[in-house]
Amino acid sequence: MAKIHSNQPTLQSPFAGKITEAQCQKLYWACLEILERTGVCLYEQEAVDLFKKAGVPVDGNRVRIPAGLVEKAFSTVPKNISMYNRKGEKVMNAGGNESYFGTGSDCLHIVDHKTGKRRKAVLQDIEEGMRVCDALENIDFVMCMFLPSDVPQATLDRYEMEAMLNNTIKPIIYVTTEFEGCAKAVEMAEIVAGGQEQLRRNPFAACYVNVTTGLRHNEEALQKLLYLSGKGLPFTYIPSAQGGVTAPMTIAGTMAVNYAGALTGLVLSQLKREGAPIIMPGWGGNMLDMKTTVQPYADPEKRGQAIDFVNYLNLPTFSLAGCSESKCVDQQAAAEAALTLFTDSIFGGNIIHDVGYLESGLSGSLSQLVICNEIISWLEAFMKGIEITDETLSLDLIDEVGPDGQYLDHPHTIKHFRERWYPSIFERSNYDGWMKKGGKDLGQRATERVNKILEEHEPEPLPKDVADAVHKVVVGK
Amino acid sequence: MSEMKDIVNAVVTGDEDKVKLLVLEAINKKETASDIMNNGLIAGMNIVGERMEAEDMFIPEVLLAARTMTAGVEILKPHLTDTDSGGLGTAILGTVQGDLHDIGKNLVKMLIQGAGFNVIDLGTDAKPEDFLEAAKANNATLIGMSALLTTTMPMMKKVIEAFESAGLRDQVKFIIGGAPVTQEYADEIGADGYGHDAGSAVRIAKSLVG
Repeated sequence: MAKIHSNQPTLQSPFAGKITEAQCQKLYWACLEILERTGVCLYEQEAVDLFKKAGVPVDGNRVRIPAGLVEKAFSTVPKNISMYNRKGEKVMNAGGNESYFGTGSDCLHIVDHKTGKRRKAVLQDIEEGMRVCDALENIDFVMCMFLPSDVPQATLDRYEMEAMLNNTIKPIIYVTTEFEGCAKAVEMAEIVAGGQEQLRRNPFAACYVNVTTGLRHNEEALQKLLYLSGKGLPFTYIPSAQGGVTAPMTIAGTMAVNYAGALTGLVLSQLKREGAPIIMPGWGGNMLDMKTTVQPYADPEKRGQAIDFVNYLNLPTFSLAGCSESKCVDQQAAAEAALTLFTDSIFGGNIIHDVGYLESGLSGSLSQLVICNEIISWLEAFMKGIEITDETLSLDLIDEVGPDGQYLDHPHTIKHFRERWYPSIFERSNYDGWMKKGGKDLGQRATERVNKILEEHEPEPLPKDVADAVHKVVVGK
Repeated sequence: MSEMKDIVNAVVTGDEDKVKLLVLEAINKKETASDIMNNGLIAGMNIVGERMEAEDMFIPEVLLAARTMTAGVEILKPHLTDTDSGGLGTAILGTVQGDLHDIGKNLVKMLIQGAGFNVIDLGTDAKPEDFLEAAKANNATLIGMSALLTTTMPMMKKVIEAFESAGLRDQVKFIIGGAPVTQEYADEIGADGYGHDAGSAVRIAKSLVG
């Protein structure tokens, strides 16, 4: 018999959306109107001059960008950026709906897994954090996790970059305090890649750039954008207006302001160099908590719609999940990490960072990172499509075994039982089994894994001459 | 006085029109300006400060209350003598050199003004010499410094050192705040007080100079 079936649509994954294409279009046109009508202030002369050259009306440093220029930028910007690891192997796609997870950067404090206490972070915490990231199966890229308080503070970003380069082969997203640090980070990455052209072709490092607000672009953000675009190196451009403070209180209003800024970055990058790779922000509707003045990372209302929007724009996305306002590795931390990872996974977050963040980005924790790794594993299993086929329905088998038979030792069960998900640190024993193993809670089991990794895992080191050359850049030759 | 209670309530609920009316009424009833100021307007802002610190009141409501209080003070101004307002002395506030963040500092300014301080605001990116000169020129007793960045926080130490070099350290009290600032850092640089939010600033400032 010829197996011919027709009209059999199936889903390869869960399908979710929070806003429609029509809503995305309205938001997009709102951004275009802001750019034409209100304009943006650019605090770097080269940026203003590039717009002047493109025939855009300029008022001092205030630029009003016509919609046509934005549309033109879309035609040259890459919709997908291949990202590599330190060894030159392709490992990520910035673009599309594949989800990649990584840590965040620059937490002032660490909730020390050895003591459970919060303390100032030091360089060794970054080195250990990177080794843990290197070992964890579900962490795909790294950011430095901690702010080293025990190095010269004016050049701490060079030390961060060096620690990442030496302790993991996974792709790096680096953050620097000023423009100089960004140029130094690129210099170090080029040394490791083997040259300027090599880094440009197989980028294993991207710069994370924050912008004051969507309509107010600070000098060092613009300097980094222009420098990296000119070199054809990838970066994120993330305006950070907060609802109720530097943007309207309403979610749509905040998104319009911030995305007008993201689009400004897009246009500028293409004016500097057509085809420059830029990554868009994938969260929207940031607010200030009006009681505590904290910027909540796990706010439920900023999840989902921005990913729908950037997918509508069809651009590479940088989003955030696996983060919590909690000050310690407790139930709130696990709940907020799980909820945020879930929403980003189901809506199609692309390059997802801040995994393991506590205290709204002010504290990091290696134990929390391990818990997130488990949550991501759970989500990977959840997000798989289900096959309802003749093969998986196994009707012949059901008939063969009959109503009174059993499947436990059947070859079919032997063949398939490993396909189901099993936890690594989530506990499933019965009560006695759990007590026999020490009756530990999730935090304790996660800490055990951290200790095991730090004892046993050796990341692939840089060749000595490369490591030395990198260090020369850090200490200023 | 029930009028005072009404003024207090009007400040707390941010009812600007009502405050202006009640202040006028109180003046007409021959209440003293100092009484209206301390037991009406400042008392209202004290409650606002406490509720803000207890995370019981939202920032926009706090700002509304502060604006309302300012409106009340405007009506009162022609009747106030020099001793009635600025009763707690002069405070110099600023965001330190290299830092442009000012929302927290502005909140503190409004709250401590509401509490009875006379405030000179240096704005953002304020250099150590700016703090020094303003303190000298205004006989300030309180210096408040704010920073949002770990890279600008070290300037707080420089400001205190500038006062030490000028021999003025003993004449003022320093309070500091901002997201990366901690009690530990305040102790390290010899600041007199640290507040983890604007709401606690009033309580701490008063305890230092009161």
